[in-house]
Amino acid sequence: MEQAIQSTLREKANRALGVNLKDAKLSKAYLSVSFITLLVGGILGLLQGLERSGLLELPAWLNYYQVLTAHGILLILIFTSTFTIGYLYAGVSHTLGGLLPKVRKMAWTGFVLMLIGVALVVITIVANEASVLYTFYPPLAASPVFYIGLVFVVLGIWSCCFGVFINYNHWRKNHRGEVTPLLAFFAMGVFVLWFFGSLGVTTEVLTLIPWSLGWKETINVMVSRTLFWSFGHTLVNIWYIVATSAWYVVVPKIIGGRVFSDKLARLVVVLLVILNIPGGFHHQIIDPGISESVKFLHVFMSISIAFPSLMTAFAMFAVFERAGRKLGGKGLLGWFKKLPWGDVRFLAPMVAMIAFIPAGAGGIVNTSNQMNQVIHNTLWVVGHFHLTVGTSVVLTFFGICYWLIPYLAKRKLTPQMNKLGVIQTIIWTVGMILMSGSQHLVGLLGDPRRTAFTTYGDHNTALSWVPYEYVMGIGATLLLIGVIIQVYAVFNMMFFAPKGETEFPIGEPEDDALPTPIWMERWGLWIVLMLMVVAMAYVVPVVDFIVNAPPGSPPIKTW
Amino acid sequence: MKQAMYGLLLYIFLILPPVANLLESIMIVHMHTQMPLLVFSGFLMAQFFQLRFPRFFAKWNQNGVPGLLLFLIVWSYWMIPRAMDEAITIQVVEIFKFISLPFLAGVPLRDSWKKLSTFGKGFIYVFIMLIFSLMAVLYIGTDEQICNNYLEVDQKTLGWGSLAMAACMIIYGIQFIFTDQSTYE
Repeated sequence: MEQAIQSTLREKANRALGVNLKDAKLSKAYLSVSFITLLVGGILGLLQGLERSGLLELPAWLNYYQVLTAHGILLILIFTSTFTIGYLYAGVSHTLGGLLPKVRKMAWTGFVLMLIGVALVVITIVANEASVLYTFYPPLAASPVFYIGLVFVVLGIWSCCFGVFINYNHWRKNHRGEVTPLLAFFAMGVFVLWFFGSLGVTTEVLTLIPWSLGWKETINVMVSRTLFWSFGHTLVNIWYIVATSAWYVVVPKIIGGRVFSDKLARLVVVLLVILNIPGGFHHQIIDPGISESVKFLHVFMSISIAFPSLMTAFAMFAVFERAGRKLGGKGLLGWFKKLPWGDVRFLAPMVAMIAFIPAGAGGIVNTSNQMNQVIHNTLWVVGHFHLTVGTSVVLTFFGICYWLIPYLAKRKLTPQMNKLGVIQTIIWTVGMILMSGSQHLVGLLGDPRRTAFTTYGDHNTALSWVPYEYVMGIGATLLLIGVIIQVYAVFNMMFFAPKGETEFPIGEPEDDALPTPIWMERWGLWIVLMLMVVAMAYVVPVVDFIVNAPPGSPPIKTW
Repeated sequence: MKQAMYGLLLYIFLILPPVANLLESIMIVHMHTQMPLLVFSGFLMAQFFQLRFPRFFAKWNQNGVPGLLLFLIVWSYWMIPRAMDEAITIQVVEIFKFISLPFLAGVPLRDSWKKLSTFGKGFIYVFIMLIFSLMAVLYIGTDEQICNNYLEVDQKTLGWGSLAMAACMIIYGIQFIFTDQSTYE
């Protein structure tokens, strides 16, 4: 009882005094690393885009595949992870009344582990010892240091996962019979998925280390690829849940609306946690060793993930319509114009959501067996993930920055900075339409991915790709301008913007909303259901790969 | 009644020949997906029978134990390798599967579940867990083909799958016992 009173007092104090400075420092550290990584990764992205278009020739000491590997790992793994931790730890701190001291320590430990990991990974890539691309598929073998670096990154993430579990559990113990705040529930979903989703890839990396050291002669390539994608696709949905957390919880508050349904948002999280991991199989549609019927059954698993996404789309547009009508919007679509388009905190996530419509449709193309055969090894796929993670997720992250960073730094979002944010969003959108659009189109014409610039001896078909690749280069240039503006905005808001108080926007439920049932908090059940789904999905191919294993492959270094 | 309708739709979907053929073509999917889904369809359809024949259930399944026994017998029968084999080879056995699992396992399970005491519910849980563990030993440990219609690798897969299911049930059981369930009420 005493503890409960203390906890409630701390929450009230938290609201009155604003951000907890120690927690803010932690989040700012993660966000700083995140945006420095974005800058480096963005520059590498431009280099790569220009090289791929034949507009630039990289020097011998920094080849295309090094740049491609670094760009992928820095942005897909490090930028997104550090941002997610920075944002969700701030969210957990705000909604659960501050982080526990030991949780804060765990997050700092995670921070150090991740930094060590990133350093090891980057060093090996720069030394040209790890041009294995971000998927590091065997039999391509990197230096063992590269894999050890990845282990450190994963350990760092796990430390943060357990931190959230402890803090969440602590809150529940002190708030018996209460439903946790929605943002904390989202955070729990993300970290549960992160921990269990990364078990597979950790197993993979732990087998790659002795193999790359020469202690073990061969590796089972198919098992490795399968373990990788059990994580790879989970990561995709981790980004997605992080983005939707802002859509469900924050955006309604910013536009003056209410949360559509607390229960529905939680159901989306639970469904994604249970169903998501086996979705990785649709990345392996053209892999040998998995029978057609198993692949066909897995299409159901992948499409089932589309279901919560459609629920989200429905809920979000309902929120927009209600808010727009409240602001005086009339007629069928009058509410659309009333939305605060000039506010970057709304504009960026809104563009992100709109981008998710073609991105999701493209995703269904990728999941479908026959259509995947056409696009699998082409730039279409690159276009697809630049539209999903590069737009739907990243623009939401950017939008979050414009309130989260001033909140953490006890500063204000100035109208000028808001305007810069709007310009940045427009530049990013145009850049991405050009780049991702041309990648999609040229992919349909057969332009391969994961390949440096080549005209295949001036073959006519290959030459027909070149104009699209130029457009891709122009898009990449605009995107780097976008990155520079964003990084400037982040550090300006963190250190130089005028002092003041900024609110952590948390949407409130409708007045007549029904209470959320407490059984949604049964994380033990959700986790066991997830494990069951994973076991049933993986047991068929994995047993087959192991029982009918080919001789295995020794490490191969093609560069 | 909506639930019974969904149950019926699921049932019709499952007995469609292409769906049944696909699910039965993979041994583990046959046992751990098709069969539980058939039971589940009966579980949903049970509402219709409960409303239509309340006196029948009141008379024959007063305390839930007869229903529980029927469920356990039918379900255990379908765990026998030969039963699965015959379902594929002999049409009549296949029809029996489509009738027995939903109507003689799913329906009585639904009717009994609420009538059973915590001990009864726990008994079903532990029984299923033990059967899965036993199946894991049987299917992983046997070094020869025990079903004519499935390869040895399929049977090993089924064994590992059963082991995983049993492990998940044990994990759930442990967390259920060691966490304070009143926080969810």
